[in-house]
Order: sequence, then structure tokens, then C-alpha cells
Amino acid sequence: MRKWLGLALVVALVAAPAVAQALRGKVAVVLDVGGRGDLSFNDMGFKGTDQAAEDFGLEMVEVQSATAADYLPNLRNLARTREYDLIICVGFLLGDALAQAAEEFPNQKFAIIDSVVDAPNVMSIVFRENEMSALIGALAAMAAAHHGYPKAGVVLGIEIPVLYHFEAGFRFGMDWGNKKYAAVTGRPANVELLYTYTGTFSNIALGKAATEAMLAQGAVGVYNVAGPLGIGDLEAITEYHRNKGTKSGPPYYFGVDANQDWMGKGMHGLASGMKRVDVGCYMAVESVVRGTFKGGVVSLGLKEKGVGISRYQDLLEFIEFGVKAGALKAEDIAETILNWQANRATLPDWIWAAIDELEAGILNGTIVVPTADTVAEMQAVRALYTLGAP
Amino acid sequence: MTGTGARPGDRLLRGVHRTLTGLHPAVESVLAAILGLLVGAVLMYIWGYDPWRAYWALLKGAFGGDYEIASSIARGVPLILTGLTFSICLRAGMFNIGAEGQMYVGAAASICVAYFSLPHPWHLVVGILFAAAAGVLWSLGPALLKLTRGVSEVISTIMFNWISRFLVFYLVAYVLVDPRQAQRTVRIPLSARFPILVPGTDLSAAVYLAVGFALFVYVLLWHTAVGYEVRAAGLNPTAARYGGISIKRTMVLSFALGGVAAGLAGAATTMGLPPTYAIISGLPELMNLGFDGMAVAMVGRNHPIGILFAALFFGGLNAGGRVMQFYGANPVPLEMVRVVMGAIVLAMAIPELARVLPAVAGAARGLVRTLSPKARKEAA
Repeated sequence: MRKWLGLALVVALVAAPAVAQALRGKVAVVLDVGGRGDLSFNDMGFKGTDQAAEDFGLEMVEVQSATAADYLPNLRNLARTREYDLIICVGFLLGDALAQAAEEFPNQKFAIIDSVVDAPNVMSIVFRENEMSALIGALAAMAAAHHGYPKAGVVLGIEIPVLYHFEAGFRFGMDWGNKKYAAVTGRPANVELLYTYTGTFSNIALGKAATEAMLAQGAVGVYNVAGPLGIGDLEAITEYHRNKGTKSGPPYYFGVDANQDWMGKGMHGLASGMKRVDVGCYMAVESVVRGTFKGGVVSLGLKEKGVGISRYQDLLEFIEFGVKAGALKAEDIAETILNWQANRATLPDWIWAAIDELEAGILNGTIVVPTADTVAEMQAVRALYTLGAP
Repeated sequence: MTGTGARPGDRLLRGVHRTLTGLHPAVESVLAAILGLLVGAVLMYIWGYDPWRAYWALLKGAFGGDYEIASSIARGVPLILTGLTFSICLRAGMFNIGAEGQMYVGAAASICVAYFSLPHPWHLVVGILFAAAAGVLWSLGPALLKLTRGVSEVISTIMFNWISRFLVFYLVAYVLVDPRQAQRTVRIPLSARFPILVPGTDLSAAVYLAVGFALFVYVLLWHTAVGYEVRAAGLNPTAARYGGISIKRTMVLSFALGGVAAGLAGAATTMGLPPTYAIISGLPELMNLGFDGMAVAMVGRNHPIGILFAALFFGGLNAGGRVMQFYGANPVPLEMVRVVMGAIVLAMAIPELARVLPAVAGAARGLVRTLSPKARKEAA
């Protein structure tokens, strides 16, 4: 509970106090076609809402969508019952459906992750993914320079504005990492970027294929920005290590959304760009319970602990998450932690200190990470940080 | 349709409606449905869900009121059309798996209406025509391959599905894309959308298009000479050819008709399904409508009127399945809902599956002929 207190405080300060309404005692989560079991985005939405329901004594219902044609009917079905205090939509793709449902049911409170729906009864929760992606980008560039690799890779999903945040942040971070490496070691670093929009959030095989291609071109690792595709990314990296006969070190896997460092017994996951969808969902439920719910945009970044780079405490929390999901055996926990520590030790301390420095800079506002929401803005960022891949 | 009048098609018709159990087809379907429901109930019971409550939720969610009925019909609309694609070709003796791909190109073609403006009904009509034309063009590929090179339509339609899928992926991402919303295409303008019939539901006037086309296919196949030729060619191509029927003509005709139906299914989705009225990257609202249509065709016994009922049944299953997920104290998760739906659909398709086995065997022979050079030489 302690970790939520800071957040609750922020919420209490930001949101205007309102008269608490009688609660009906039920919340619902609607997931998009990606569905449960991704160990990342959707599972986190479930985790956060489930935790909040438990903490506040609510009943929670989860509704998945078999096809995109189900989004709007699912929202209507739930709203029509008038039994739910809050209906949370997990995922950008539900935005259009929610815009319509929010208009049809003006007295129903909704929240949506990753999309902005302009309605008084919708809390739109968005994340500043560029901030933690900058940390991962800096880490990847410095790791590549340190180990003598020419490149670092990013495997992305469908080309939607949310993913531009990741790409923009990663580019800035790599540029920062290159400069930092040169400044510390006195040797120039020109680590270049490899990036692919695979056009899918579900075809794991494409993640594997894209990663294999990047490793063949000398990537020090890949940052997964496509949810479940990371399973394929990690598989390619694990096979690469097996063929090389190595157990740790490059190439590394950089996880996303959840802390995915523990996956594959923690052997190759160096760090994850965490986007705490669970924190967003928890916050939305809490605001309804406390009567502070308000429509509008809530932006979560490093400062609000809505995003971040994975650390040891997060590893323990998400190992538990993995065990619960059946993706990690309880007897492998100790080994996973040792593997992870061994992998982290393949980089010198100054690199980790540099990451802390970048994080502190972003937090106190001395470093501003660029972001992009449209094609034009993305092209501007690409032009600014070319990294051999305009 | 099993009368014993003097019309020349009656013997053929009797052959078509021979059933697995010797019972009336409708009775057989009801028995199969009961069997499927029982299997689903057992599955739910084993996994600790209350089958009664779940089926009650299914029934209420499917047909419990105006809203529910409208939602069920809306869900079935595209399936009527893709089901017809499969059935028409099966009646002509071919195994057309291409509805999926033809529907994709139809949907993409209908999006093109966003680039010009016309007054309301005409804009919609032009979009429908675009979609139908695209579906026909896409279906002609496998038809011509079969006519000229003897390529099995099973293989070519599956291949064309993949080509269509990636072509439409490309079109969505680079050509038809909305510059401000990179995850989808430009939206169909208001003037080219099917009007919503029941406010607050997905039911649009696209249902008239689907039902109308089904009736048209029924009249064409069973009450015109052309339709008689198509069915005769399907029942026994050799006899039909001997009787002076051009197999090539019936083949192209049935493929083209199927293409129209599949293209219209695409248009019914892009122009008739709120709230997006566009194709989303990855085609999540179109995916599998073509394959589900094959199941609808089986349950509907490959008859246009049967397909109407089967599509309503399918729409009801889907609409009710959504409700099963949150109804009651121990709701059934989507995975289990889909298992139960699968059991019901499979049971209902078995009678028709058994009946079309000869057609399946014929398709398999065609496959072997396409794949094996030796058999091809012998055929030549």
C-alpha cells in the first residue's frame, strides 16, 4: 500500500474535491482484442484494477473483446446495466467506441488508458512514454559502445501515435548516451539505431524475425515496443546466446510496459521501460471511490511514477506477477534474481550512474525529452536525432 | 423444397436435401443444436461454471429485448454475405475459401468514397458498387486460374486471401491512411454510411442489403435456368456437360456472385458498423468474418434462406457470448465462451459437413492434381 500513497496524494491535490456519491460497488475492465496473457499491457490493466477492487472492497468484472466489432457493444452492455461505478477501457483502440458510448451514457463514469476522449465523464489516462524510453535508449547506446557493438534496435507494433512517444524518447536517449559515453571515456561513440514497425501487436513470429534481422546487423539488444511480440524478441535473443554459448551480456532484451526482466529466468532482460498501466487503473478506481473523479486528461510520467526504468524492487514485484500468471515457477525465483544480477554486472557502474543522472535531469526539468504525436512531429524528431536511421 | 412435382430439377433437389439421419433438415438442425448445447454445458460444468446461469445470460443477451435482438441481427449481417459466397460456389461444386480476402478488398474499395462527395443515397450506392466490383475482381483470379490452368480453387483462394490481407495492410498503412490518425484509414463520410435502424445499437440498413442479396441468390439459383445450370454442374459436372451446360460459364458465374457477396460484406462492415467507419490497422473488425461465414453456410445447410437463420443464430451466439462474460456471480470468461460456442457450432455443422463430404473429396482430388506433377501428366 505504501507505494500508492504518494500517488494518492498527487491525485488528491490535482483533482478538485467533490461530494462522494453512493457507490454501487462494481467496476469493469474492457480489454481490446489483444486480450489477457500478454504478461504486459493487458495483464497490467487487470492487475491494477484487481488490486484496487480488493483494496476498496469492490467487485470487479473483466470483459474481453473477440473482435473490434465488440468494443462498442461491450461498453453499451455494461453501461446499460447501470451497475458499474467505473468502466475502464484498457487500450488505445477502444477510443472511438468509448467516444460514442460516453455520449450515449452521460451519467456513466469511464476511464481509458492510452487515448484521449474529450467528454466530461471520461478520465483519459496517458503516459509520457518518451521519458522512460529515453532512459532505455541511453542505456542501449552506452551498452553498445561499451561492448563494441555498432547498433541498437527497437521492434515496434502498429504505427500509432502512442508508439511515436517511445521512438522519439529512444532516439533522444541514444543520442544522449552516445554523447555521455564520449564524455566519460574520451572515445567517440556513434551507435546507430535500427527500428521496425511490424504492424502487429499479436504476431509473435514477426517480433522474432525482426529481432533476428537486427542481431545479424550487430544490434546490442532490442527494445520491445509491441506488447506480446517481446516473447518473440526474447526467443531470438535466447537462441543467439545459445548458438554463441554465452549466458549473459549482449545481446540484451529491453522489456516494455511491465517489468519483463524476469522473463526467460532473467538471463537476458537488462532493463524494462515500465509503463505502469496498473498504476493508472488503480488511480482511476481510487478517484471514483474517493469521489474525486473528474473528466479530462491525466498525464503520468517519471514524476508521477507512472513510467520508469526497472530496478531491483520492481523485479521482485513482477516476479510475483509472473509466478501468478504461471509464466515463472516459484522454485526458479532465486536463480532468476542471480541471473539478472549477473547480467546487470556486465555493464560498469558508471553507466548505471549515468542512467540515474539522466533520470534526475528529467525529473528536475533540466533535461526535456522530445515527443511526437503526429507523423510530421515524428519526422522532425527523426531529423534531429538521425542515428543512421532517418 | 422436397416436393414431387413434375419440374425437371426435382430429382436433383431431393438429392441435395438428403440428410444424415433421414429426418427433416430442420428437425436435424434442432437436434444438433441441443447436442451442442449439452456438450457446452458439460464443458462449463467441468470447469466450475453454472451452465444454467450461463445459458440464461446467453439467451437474454441474444434475444432478451429490442436492444439485444437488434445487436444479434447486426452481428449476423456480414456473415450472411460471406456465408453466401461459400454456399454459391459449393452449389456449383467448388470449395471457395476466398470470402475472407474478397471481403478485405471490398472493404478497402468502399473506403475510397471518402475521397469525393455525393448526396446521401448515391454516395452510399457508389460505395456498395465499388465494394462489389472489387470483390468480383478479386474472385476472378482463382476462377481464371482454375479455368485456364486447372489450379485447385482451394489452394488459389487461400493464397489470394494472404495476398489480399497484406495488400490491404499496405493500403491501410500508406494509401488510405488518415494523416491525423495513423492507426486507421480515412473515415467513410456521413453521406455514405448505412443509416442506423435502431438508435443505440449497431443495427444499420446494411441488413436490408444482406437479406435482399440472399433472396436474390435464392431466386436465381432455384427459379431461373441459369441457377439450375449452376446447381446441375455442382451435382454432377459430367452429366451437366453432357446435357449441354457450359461448366466454365457456371464456374465463372458462381465465383463472381460469391465475389459480389464477399465484397458487400466488407462494405456492410466499413459503411454500416459504428463507431469507426474505417479500417483499423491490422483489420481487427474484419478479421475472420469470411471464415465464420463458412461455418454459417454449413449450419444454414448451404441454402440462402437457411443461411439467414444461421446468421441470426451466430449473431445471437456472439451477442449473448459478450453478456455471458459479466452476467451473474461467476461469469464465464471469453475463452470459455468461445469453447462453448465452438462446440455448438461444430455440432450444428456436422450434418451438413457429412453431406458435403463428396464435394470435399472432390476438392481434395483437385488439390492432389494441382500438387502432383505425375497426376497432372496423367490428366493431360
